[in-house]
Amino acid sequence: MQHVKVPQDRIGVLIGEGGETMREIERRAEVRLDIDSESGSVAIDTVGDPVTGLVAPDIVRAVGRGFTPEAALSLLDEEMRTFELIDLQEHTRNKNDLQRQKGRLIGENGRTRELMEELSGAEVVIRGTTLGIIGQPEEVEAVRRATGMLLDGAPHGAVYSFLERKHNELTRDFDVQPSD
Amino acid sequence: MSESENSGSKWGIAHVHASFNNTLITVTDQTGAETIAKSSGGAVVKQNRDEASPYAAMQMAQTVAEEVKAAGIEGLDVRVRGPGGNLNKSPGPGAQATIRALARAGLEIGRIEDVTPIPHDGTRAPKNSRL
Repeated sequence: MQHVKVPQDRIGVLIGEGGETMREIERRAEVRLDIDSESGSVAIDTVGDPVTGLVAPDIVRAVGRGFTPEAALSLLDEEMRTFELIDLQEHTRNKNDLQRQKGRLIGENGRTRELMEELSGAEVVIRGTTLGIIGQPEEVEAVRRATGMLLDGAPHGAVYSFLERKHNELTRDFDVQPSD
Repeated sequence: MSESENSGSKWGIAHVHASFNNTLITVTDQTGAETIAKSSGGAVVKQNRDEASPYAAMQMAQTVAEEVKAAGIEGLDVRVRGPGGNLNKSPGPGAQATIRALARAGLEIGRIEDVTPIPHDGTRAPKNSRL
């Protein structure tokens, strides 16, 4: 049994229309979700195979951090797919700095975030004080490094060329899927 | 309670210590006193930074699973831990990969437990590291 906190405005997404999304997660991850819509706490109980149920907390957390249910459920599609959450609050000095760094990470009209997604192949969602990544381990690693560079104050151009290089590395030896 | 008690099959415990720099797998008997098989990141990769990668963990888990099965053990309870203490509380990338690889190698997985040491307010946490 595990507990995950989900923000108030994401509970609706987690449950879905008439409980659709909730049932989908329960069915595919072989767990039982007990959602307390007052406090936003979700209790996760494994009912089936404990190994399949392993990612259920990550799925719920991903939905809570702004991912679409489809993106969150993609964690079940493939064994290696990983979810990572970076708390931006830990890496910024104050509220103003957080706001500024979020702006830098998202970019003008979301260009930086989109480029991170396109060039790495991972899904990137920035919501509140967190940055979430879902993708293959190498993709997640690339996005994490790029995020670190931006938070350290690197110019966007340098980050783009880093991502470009990673993109070439990732797509050269094995074509898993065309990333754009 | 768990499947480990009801049948006559032999069970063991897999202790998985997954940090962000390495993954250690130790399989013991149920008392935890007798080690049956163990492996760590350095046994399968050349580059130090790959020691914590999920791919390394999978390979380690496979070799460990073979040794464990050769010792006549059919199922494992898993105890995962991250660095813990005043360090990172969540297990590293090797933890999930290990459990999955053990399951796929034909070992039955009983209960999965998180045994990361949590401080009851201990020493000051280290300063934030770069991503």
